[in-house]
Amino acid sequence: MRVVDDITAILTGLWTTLKHILRRPVTVQYPEEKRTPSPRYRARIILTRDPDGGERCVACYLCSAACPVDCISMQAEEVEGGRRRAAWFRINFSRCIFCGLCAEACPTTAIQMTPDYEICKRDVMDLVFEKEDLLVAHGGKDARYNFYRHAGIGVTQPRGEGAEERPPVDVRGLLP
Amino acid sequence: MRECIFIKVLMPKLIIDKREVDAPEGVSVLEAAQSVGIVIPHFCWHPALGKAGACRVCAVKMLDGPVKGIQMSCMLPVQEGMVVSTTDPDAVAMRRQVIEWLMINHPHDCPVCDEGGECQLQDFTIAGGHGIRRFDGPKRTHVNQYLGPNIEHEMNRCIQCYRCVRFYQEHAGGSDFGVMGSAGRVYFGRFEHGPLESPFSGNLVDICPTGVFTDRTARFRARYWDYDMAPSVCPGCSVGCNITPVARYRELLKIVARRNDRVNGWFICDRGRFAPKEANDPLRPRTPLVDGREASWEEAEDALLRRLNEIVELYGEGSVLVVGSSRLPFEGASLLPLLSGVLSSGAPGWFATRRETRAAHAAVSLMTRENGASMADVMNAGCIAIYESDLREEGPMLLLAVRQAWRRGAPVLLVGEHSPLEQTRAVGIEAVQLHYMEEAPLAIFDRPVVIAGTKHGDPEVMAMLDRTGARIAALFPGPNGFGAALLSAEQGGGPVGAALASGRVKGLVAVEADIPAELLEGIPVVAALDWRATSAVQAAAIVLPTTAPVESDGTYVNFEGRAQKFCRVIRPGLPVKGLDPAGHPPRVHEAAPPGGDLRPAWRVISDLVRLAGGTPPEEPLSGRWARLAGLDPEGEGMVLGGRVLPNDA
Ligand code: SF4
Ligand code: SF4
Ligand code: SF4
Ligand code: SF4
Repeated sequence: MRVVDDITAILTGLWTTLKHILRRPVTVQYPEEKRTPSPRYRARIILTRDPDGGERCVACYLCSAACPVDCISMQAEEVEGGRRRAAWFRINFSRCIFCGLCAEACPTTAIQMTPDYEICKRDVMDLVFEKEDLLVAHGGKDARYNFYRHAGIGVTQPRGEGAEERPPVDVRGLLP
Repeated sequence: MRECIFIKVLMPKLIIDKREVDAPEGVSVLEAAQSVGIVIPHFCWHPALGKAGACRVCAVKMLDGPVKGIQMSCMLPVQEGMVVSTTDPDAVAMRRQVIEWLMINHPHDCPVCDEGGECQLQDFTIAGGHGIRRFDGPKRTHVNQYLGPNIEHEMNRCIQCYRCVRFYQEHAGGSDFGVMGSAGRVYFGRFEHGPLESPFSGNLVDICPTGVFTDRTARFRARYWDYDMAPSVCPGCSVGCNITPVARYRELLKIVARRNDRVNGWFICDRGRFAPKEANDPLRPRTPLVDGREASWEEAEDALLRRLNEIVELYGEGSVLVVGSSRLPFEGASLLPLLSGVLSSGAPGWFATRRETRAAHAAVSLMTRENGASMADVMNAGCIAIYESDLREEGPMLLLAVRQAWRRGAPVLLVGEHSPLEQTRAVGIEAVQLHYMEEAPLAIFDRPVVIAGTKHGDPEVMAMLDRTGARIAALFPGPNGFGAALLSAEQGGGPVGAALASGRVKGLVAVEADIPAELLEGIPVVAALDWRATSAVQAAAIVLPTTAPVESDGTYVNFEGRAQKFCRVIRPGLPVKGLDPAGHPPRVHEAAPPGGDLRPAWRVISDLVRLAGGTPPEEPLSGRWARLAGLDPEGEGMVLGGRVLPNDA
């Protein structure tokens, strides 16, 4: 019976509409009202510090190589004590697609995504963030990791005293 | 039929991964595989150093034939009937395990290693199938050494392939660097801290498959994937070694060797590699100047022609001198006579002294196709005489070639007072010193070669060198020295020093020429076309800034008459570093880089000729030089004989 089928369909549709009229709305009255995104949310990028307060980023260029839109650029330099860091570090947020590939590529957990999605500016040049705009004073999502403790090349601690290292060998020793 | 047998004897046939391969006798299975594009991971084997069997990474499985089972492909010469598998599970497992144990002690520092991105260890570790470290025990560590201002040492990264020590001691004859220790303590370094003494030490950077040796002059500057690179030719001397300059953000960072088997093989010398990076010099002329004031190109070119024409009117023909040099690329050099023509001056001057001019002319007329010695001739010589030359200055890579001949038994003779014994000591050769060329018993040896320096060589003796029956390699003062000598000899160019000292020259155009400041005093009109802040640029009323070799394409003709093309690496302009006081690149957009309005010397010369009413050729290398225009920068170059010019060849 086609007529019965048609009426059932109309009533089902109306019932759905009625249900939604009576439900609490999901719309958020942004900006008066704001949601808290999950900590994994991918928005504004930061450069974090290691537990000793040192800059984590070693300017290895892996994030800039991984970035599909080429919006990261930097210049590495050597500072006192042999540490490698960025002389300047720039992210062009007007180009960033917040894909998170940079954070994924980072071997030192320096570059991290944060849930801060509110980065609209009136002048596009204000979306070009320099190192001082990106560097924060904490370790972000991983407060413990310290790359140089595991790097195995004696920066920040004497050679052979890092984690997973034996003391330097005596090359003139003759014992087996 | 006989020919067939002949080929069969010399070219054993084998099967590698189901493909039939003909390989010349004596080559290893690894090379035979490489010749058909099958890459077997390897660390200790290097084409220039051969095999050592030290790393055990190049394992393959021999399925059938004279040898069977797992074998090291670099150690195994090809034999008829071999059946090789590089993909057999046993071979793959062996390679993966060897790489895993090579990596056991390797630090976890790729992010801060300058080799990262251009690292053979990274490539072959991944290619060998070892992606994740399983070993989490403690690693052995070493103390590093200070090896001088150019090379950084990080011994923890070593995988004991012995390439460095084989190059340094065997190939380059150095004695201050070697291998020490035993068992797990093997150490590659000097006995104590100190700069490496060999004039070829920089090749350790290229040859080490890991980051033990890295270029300190470009420490922490950029990554391979960001480099601006192009095939180029070393401007350091007249040998013309092939190089790859590496730049980033319009700044020249470092030089690496580029293979050319006809010239430098795989290596270059430290003089070329660690030469001061003059292209980055902040004092370089970057805008045309008239009397010290910035001017437009048109204004400066007009001023140059007007003032020099006034000189010609006042003092008559021949009162203006155009000076070229051995570092001016051939494009500009070949147009220089046209500029002389429109300025009513005689032939351009190329060389400083009368003796040097005559020696260069003598050298270029000797080096015909039959008499000229190439790098290969030096390496295969039966006896070598070095005549009035310190090769460490005039052509370091020839010294390395001389050593290879000496290793095969060729005696080395040092002739004349300007051939010091220290040069051969630097490459571990024992040489004999002689006073005169006549004392050298070259005729009793097969394939003798004479290497002569035009800087100190006596022109009379140089002109007679072909009578010794030897092949001749003459060295010139700059990368295009042969080209300059060729043009100078043709046009009868005279010595620049004598002309300037005589006082007859009232107007001077110095085109990329280094002229001592005292010779420039008292010349009413000096004009300079240059990219360096030379004394001529300082003294000149009119300065026309040209591009550095890394900023333009060009051609150099090296000591044996081999024309080689080099390509532009950097777009002209001030390096990004230092443009903004805040330390980062500028935050304003500009269409062209600041300080980038530079022109290649040939173009400036050609514009001047046109403005003066002459007709310059459309392209720099045309007419009789047209064949040089299409040279492949990655090819072997083209040899011009001294008497055999390209159009009669
Ligand atoms: S989030 Fe993606 S687009 Fe943005 S900087 Fe990172 S890699 Fe580039
Ligand atoms: S990947 Fe990490 S350590 Fe490397 S440059 Fe980027 S932020 Fe710095
Ligand atoms: S230092 Fe480099 S070249 Fe020398 S043995 Fe170690 S890895 Fe090989
Ligand atoms: S031998 Fe001459 S051309 Fe070769 S790398 Fe050294 S300086 Fe440069």
